[in-house]
Amino acid sequence: MPARTAEVSRVVSNSVPELSAERAVTWPKRTKSRLSNGLEIILAEAHSIPKFHGELFFRSGNAAVADRAPGLAEMTASVVRTGTAKRASRQIEEDLRRIGADLSSSAGADTSAISFAGLSEFAEPLLSLVNELAREAVFPEAEFERERRQKLEEVKLERTQPAFLASERLRKTLFGAHPYARVSPSEEQVAAYTRPELQAVYREFYTPENALLLLVGDFDSREMLKTAEAVFRGWTGEKPETKTAAAPANPRGRRVYLIHVPGAVQTQLLAGCRAITRKHPDWVKLGLTNSLYGGAFNSRLVMNIREDKGYTYSPRSGVNALRQHGYFSISAAVRNEVVAASLTEIFYELDKLRSVPVPEAELADAQNYQSGVFSMGLATQDGLLSQLSTVALNELPDDYLETYRAKVRALTPEDLLATARKYLDSANMQIVVVGDRAHIESQAGLFGELEVYDAQGQRLE
Amino acid sequence: MAVESTTLANGLKVVIAPDTTAPVVTVGVYYKIGFRLEPRGRSGFAHLFEHMMFQGSANAPKMQHIKLVNSSGGVLNGSTSYDVTNYYQAVPSNALERVLWLEADRMRALKVDGENLKNQRDVVKEEVRINVMNQPYGGFPWLDMPPVAFRNWANAHNFYGDFADLDAADLSDVQAFFKTYYVPNNAVLLMLGDVKAEEGIALAEKLFGDIPAGAAPPFADSNEPPQTEERRGNVEEKFGTLPAVAIGYVIPKRRTPDWCAMALLDQALHGGRAGRIYRDLVLEKQIALEADGGIDDLFGYNGPTHMTTRILHKPEYSSEAALAAFDAVIREMRERGISADELEQLKVKWRSDYYATLEGGRGGYMPKYGLMHLLACFTLFDNQPQLVNSILDGFLAVTREEIQAVAMKYLREDQRAIVFRTPVKPDAKVAA
Repeated sequence: MPARTAEVSRVVSNSVPELSAERAVTWPKRTKSRLSNGLEIILAEAHSIPKFHGELFFRSGNAAVADRAPGLAEMTASVVRTGTAKRASRQIEEDLRRIGADLSSSAGADTSAISFAGLSEFAEPLLSLVNELAREAVFPEAEFERERRQKLEEVKLERTQPAFLASERLRKTLFGAHPYARVSPSEEQVAAYTRPELQAVYREFYTPENALLLLVGDFDSREMLKTAEAVFRGWTGEKPETKTAAAPANPRGRRVYLIHVPGAVQTQLLAGCRAITRKHPDWVKLGLTNSLYGGAFNSRLVMNIREDKGYTYSPRSGVNALRQHGYFSISAAVRNEVVAASLTEIFYELDKLRSVPVPEAELADAQNYQSGVFSMGLATQDGLLSQLSTVALNELPDDYLETYRAKVRALTPEDLLATARKYLDSANMQIVVVGDRAHIESQAGLFGELEVYDAQGQRLE
Repeated sequence: MAVESTTLANGLKVVIAPDTTAPVVTVGVYYKIGFRLEPRGRSGFAHLFEHMMFQGSANAPKMQHIKLVNSSGGVLNGSTSYDVTNYYQAVPSNALERVLWLEADRMRALKVDGENLKNQRDVVKEEVRINVMNQPYGGFPWLDMPPVAFRNWANAHNFYGDFADLDAADLSDVQAFFKTYYVPNNAVLLMLGDVKAEEGIALAEKLFGDIPAGAAPPFADSNEPPQTEERRGNVEEKFGTLPAVAIGYVIPKRRTPDWCAMALLDQALHGGRAGRIYRDLVLEKQIALEADGGIDDLFGYNGPTHMTTRILHKPEYSSEAALAAFDAVIREMRERGISADELEQLKVKWRSDYYATLEGGRGGYMPKYGLMHLLACFTLFDNQPQLVNSILDGFLAVTREEIQAVAMKYLREDQRAIVFRTPVKPDAKVAA
């Protein structure tokens, strides 16, 4: 009897089980509406836990006010939560805890946002606090000074982080005079922020006509819509006038930027080129191409420089979508001795994808990966919120979630070859290396004309 | 929440929590071995070994595990902590059997060679460089605190590993560690999400049932000799310019009577911007720029552990001044405890956070990671996975008196350790 069991098991165990029939992926119904004050609202029910997640987006961020000062929208968002006409900072924090809620306010290049999550039973008081922060933030002088000092130390600290130094230089290189070129303010710029500047940004950006409210979680959509109307209806304000910055020049030819960090025991590599935005018709193609190149654990780049050669722990590639322009980038932190060897493999894998059609089986694997991971957003409230915000903020079609998988599955090796040729622009890749020049300069110089900077951004000879 | 569990004849525990919200299933295997009990002279080995578990097994050679999970539409990872090591993946539910087959294959027969070991040793060294050696405040305080605070090697050594020890590890170490600790009777298999209980148990029987049990693994003693005075140490900060200090207090063993009150005391002190430490040091006195911390893994520790506070402070204050401000918060807590209103707030937040843990807990990408971790710890350490449905009650029953009592008992100078992380390049402008 035991022998027989073992035999059966061995037969089963020696070969990989087939996938069983796929269960349908059903995205929840979205309720889209507009409150009487013009605030656009999207709700989706997800009853996994007795909580809900929300995000109040404003369609303006750091880029829209970059001509005033870099990072101004982000600084504004930091101070928003520190006081309203009705509540002081300490009261806000205690009230949040009293209703079991988390809240943060932040800004990126293209949007500002108040993000929150809390217990469904306290939805009304949480939305009321969000409404208060969006309408009645008072920017207390002392809180502003404290936040500014914290920001000052933060921007100093960033300059000791290799990954920050690399991305700062890459953005500068790819976006030139465009606001996207500046990822963070300098110490002097932070020191020069004023409270009236922040208040001006707040008045312009934080209006219902400029906002989008997303709510996902354990609630009844009709009831929640009524609550939102009752909470937000007194808030008014128009869409700000925003200027669109001119398209920056796209850098031609490979160049290498070395950021010298004396004593660094590892080298951060980052290479990139301009690509497309989320709205571009080639987005899905480029997403799949990226996943095959370096976007997944079993991608070619990870297999090569991590699992085969052991150069790095952390290789990856990604498509970064900003609202006006996107870019493709590849990163890895490698040991100092293999900077040239790693770059060689990075370019080898790029050029191979541009030259040789992807085998059908590998394509099918990548298609399964892309569509499987996409559907994981369904399993959690914040995952679903993130999918819905991508669709709404990029003005993608309403059926984007439902049709994405079919679009991925329809792609062919020829599509990927064409996409790689168009967007994995190996001849014009801008390369940043952050490390100790004594160990890496001669290696980096093999890949293009070299410029050397210090961590403060000063050009070195 | 429905939780089904069973133990196979070979000792493997199986826990299933069905939920059909999404056609996704999370599968985890936890082994009861972490870096606390790795062999002497082999610091960092438990973590290096975790990497080796992705390097091939009898019927799934190198890269097959990763390739098969990704190409089924799923994501995967593993992690090593003090007392457990876990391996987990979330996949569309039609890949359940495939993933279980992969986990069973590597539990049955790891198959790696010297080439794989050299490769992963190199990868791990780059992991240590990116996370510790080439980062400002890298490893602070999780790697800095143990050698200062503890005397037993099990608790006090470098958990990421000295490079000489990583270099010394060879294939015989890998096979011995596997044979000793990676036996079904030292593990729990978890399936959460789109799986029926009876289906999951049948698959576990089919795929794991014939893996032979091993001898019960020996566990080195991790007890500490009694601590009688405050311990202090210094570590150089190579990149950052802000002085930093970390304070760790020894906390009660998990699931002892003081444990729930200690957890709420921790929340009173470290619960975000409303927590007393951040509120006093950052928002009000404005001595610190960052102040955070807490109990690292409340449900998953099985040996001497700290509640740790991590403070980065303004360079115009001395670290002693920052410490004095911290001490004032602790003194206030010991002398006056907390108000009824504060306790009520803490409990609502605790409940809310607990729900969040059940759903997520490891970024957005791994559904039910938190639930998996709770069920695994309640199974491996308590043999009661159902605690997931009742554990909350203990925290919600804590009284003000109990919180003040644990503050008096545990927040004592002779039961703490302090690490100063001092910049070698202090801020020039302030020094001038």
